[in-house]
Amino acid sequence: MTNQAAPTERAGQSNAPQGSERSHTLVVIADDQHGALDRIVGVLRRRRARLQSFALGRSELPNVVRITVVMNDSEVGVEQLVEQLRKIVNVRQIVNLSSEHTVVRELALIKVNGASSHFNEIVELGHLFGAHVVDVAQETVTLEVTGNEEKVEKLVSLLQDYGIREVARTGRLAMARGAADL
Amino acid sequence: MQTAATITQQPEIAQISSAGSLRETGPLHDEARELTGSQILCEALIREGVELLFGYPGGAIMPFYDALTSYPALHHVLVRHEQGAAHAADGYARATGKVGVCVATSGPGATNLVTGLATAYMDSTPVVALTGQVARPFIGRDAFQETDVLGVTQPITKHNYLVQRVEDLADIVREAFQLALSGRPGPVLIDVPKDIQFSKTLYRPSTRLSSNEYARAARTQQPSPAAIARAAQLIAEAQRPLIMSGHGVILANAWSELQAFAEKTNIPVITTLLGLSGFPETHPLAIGMPGMHGPAHVNRAIGVADLIIGVGLRFDDRVTGKASEFAPRARFIHIDIDPAEMHKVKPAAVPIVSDAKAALKALVEAVEPGDHRTWISEIRNNEAQDQDHIAAIPRNTVHPDPISILEAIRAETHGDAIIVTDVGQHQMWTARHYTWTRPNSHITSGGLGTMGFALPAAMGVKMGVPDATVWVVAGDGGIQMNIQELATLKQEGLAIKVAIMNNGYLGMVRQWQHFFHSGNYSETPITGPDYVQLAAAYGLTGMHVTRHEEVAEAVHQAMEKEGTVIIDFVIESEANVYPMVAPGSAITNMIEETEESTGHD
Repeated sequence: MTNQAAPTERAGQSNAPQGSERSHTLVVIADDQHGALDRIVGVLRRRRARLQSFALGRSELPNVVRITVVMNDSEVGVEQLVEQLRKIVNVRQIVNLSSEHTVVRELALIKVNGASSHFNEIVELGHLFGAHVVDVAQETVTLEVTGNEEKVEKLVSLLQDYGIREVARTGRLAMARGAADL
Repeated sequence: MQTAATITQQPEIAQISSAGSLRETGPLHDEARELTGSQILCEALIREGVELLFGYPGGAIMPFYDALTSYPALHHVLVRHEQGAAHAADGYARATGKVGVCVATSGPGATNLVTGLATAYMDSTPVVALTGQVARPFIGRDAFQETDVLGVTQPITKHNYLVQRVEDLADIVREAFQLALSGRPGPVLIDVPKDIQFSKTLYRPSTRLSSNEYARAARTQQPSPAAIARAAQLIAEAQRPLIMSGHGVILANAWSELQAFAEKTNIPVITTLLGLSGFPETHPLAIGMPGMHGPAHVNRAIGVADLIIGVGLRFDDRVTGKASEFAPRARFIHIDIDPAEMHKVKPAAVPIVSDAKAALKALVEAVEPGDHRTWISEIRNNEAQDQDHIAAIPRNTVHPDPISILEAIRAETHGDAIIVTDVGQHQMWTARHYTWTRPNSHITSGGLGTMGFALPAAMGVKMGVPDATVWVVAGDGGIQMNIQELATLKQEGLAIKVAIMNNGYLGMVRQWQHFFHSGNYSETPITGPDYVQLAAAYGLTGMHVTRHEEVAEAVHQAMEKEGTVIIDFVIESEANVYPMVAPGSAITNMIEETEESTGHD
């Protein structure tokens, strides 16, 4: 997202085989204190994380935020980042939720040119993806879709034909399945 | 370091005096009293064992300075530039192991601390910085002298606080000291808005664990027995093992454990720049410094070693050169208190996340006595060959030469001095040619390489260890960067001896230009003041030495004279530091001194 540069030698990469990068989902639980978010973002920037998405919101605890970070990196690169993040005083916990036993969701709002001739097609297409119409105006239809990134991307690409005006995506949220709490 | 005993022994008698409840010195109060934020800061600092503050007043920190005069237990040193305050606090911390404290106002005062904080951060030294901030209603409105200091210092502090409520202040100070000292030490900044310094609240000393107790608790964590056993096994198998000892050994006061470990296993010891004086260089197992300016035999030994036991170091690029070709035949045992250092540069066969002292203690018990005489004599033979080669090169004998200056200082102080160096050629000469024997007697800015560090840092060192003789060794470039602190030295009546190795160049940059930029000496010739007159202008003593045979007498005179003395040693102008590894090269690929390379007279 912010770092699309070609792979270069970085900290923690000394034993990372070339091309071993893959998508990792980190869940960071942090105290909602002044400057905490700055520090988390700062470490990701400074340690050159290849960020794909970053989602922040409240958790089940008061004054504790839950951040879901997706990055494309090798195993050792991610481990190095996890250790660096763990040193932030306000960070309570970090979990790498990259296994299959994880529920992964993203929400997207997609505003499409919705001239009346295509209105029904757009709504039907949306329904195939479980999307809801959340706004209809003279020239636009706005759909809300939830799912994994592939599903969201698929719908976005199918809607291209009608002319997309805006897309807003939350970034990935993740949670371990079953009783395996963080 | 203040012990837990002295903390708990504080009598719990409340001696509440009249208005303001201020006290002279003495016992800590456990009863709640209504105090201003500024008074709470002073109380909390005293409770952390602080005796010295280095700082500079200004608008947003004035309420604190107003309170300060009522707390004579806190000795404030008025520096001449906030950068000097940060370096002095850092020097104090390095020399004493206690937290160094610096104080500045908002805006420019705080931003002037930045270089000093970054220096402390890179070298993992415990510093607490207090900065004033504009009053809360003004924050975010681009008020006069407002800077987002939290944002500015975020990547160069372990943690930082903007105090939002006066009620939080006591706990924040306590926590800041805990954080600065615990685990891998580092700087922590507390930004205190001016209105919080004024506002009153009921003050009760923070009941959290004291910082020193916290630090000890963290250190008593034992290294994993499995890792120690595995390490002992690798040590037993190794034919050509090396110990590499870094700053962590000094930070953990682990010199006797290091020596016991080296002696039991009979493994030679390499000390990194910041590890120097962590192991006595007169010891038969001491072989020297590695890396860019390490002597050839050390780098060659690393090149053929089959086991590297790294203790409290982070395999900095000045140590490793090209990391992939560093110690290519070796397995690594890496001991460091910071888990993020494991595998960062070199993958470790045995990572041991632990305080150096605890890990070395455990290793001494776990290992079998070793015998590496053949390996050691191989290294020593290499060393002797190099020395013969170097001795055969004709020298300029007119000017004072750096090595004889260092030898004179060592002879005059019997090796008991603490030497504070700046950054550049003189730093490397001092690191290499001063024979370090006093534990923790070498103070320098390693990671950040901060020119202008030495003079203010030496101030902190001297105030932290007043009985020690403190020598500054600096170049004529770096000494001019914080020269204003001579006024502070005079005001505080401090006796520091300063040796300037003056070659009329920014010597290390010139050396790089010589080797890597076709000798294009772009902006490296530099002039300076007449240091004798300069010293006199500050009310200090200055000397000017241009001849080799005058060196020893000048050093002797400097020791005889009271107060701070500056000696301007005019050295050969284009001498280089040898050997040298080009940045990005393997450390076994060194530029070595030859007869031709010395022809710059």
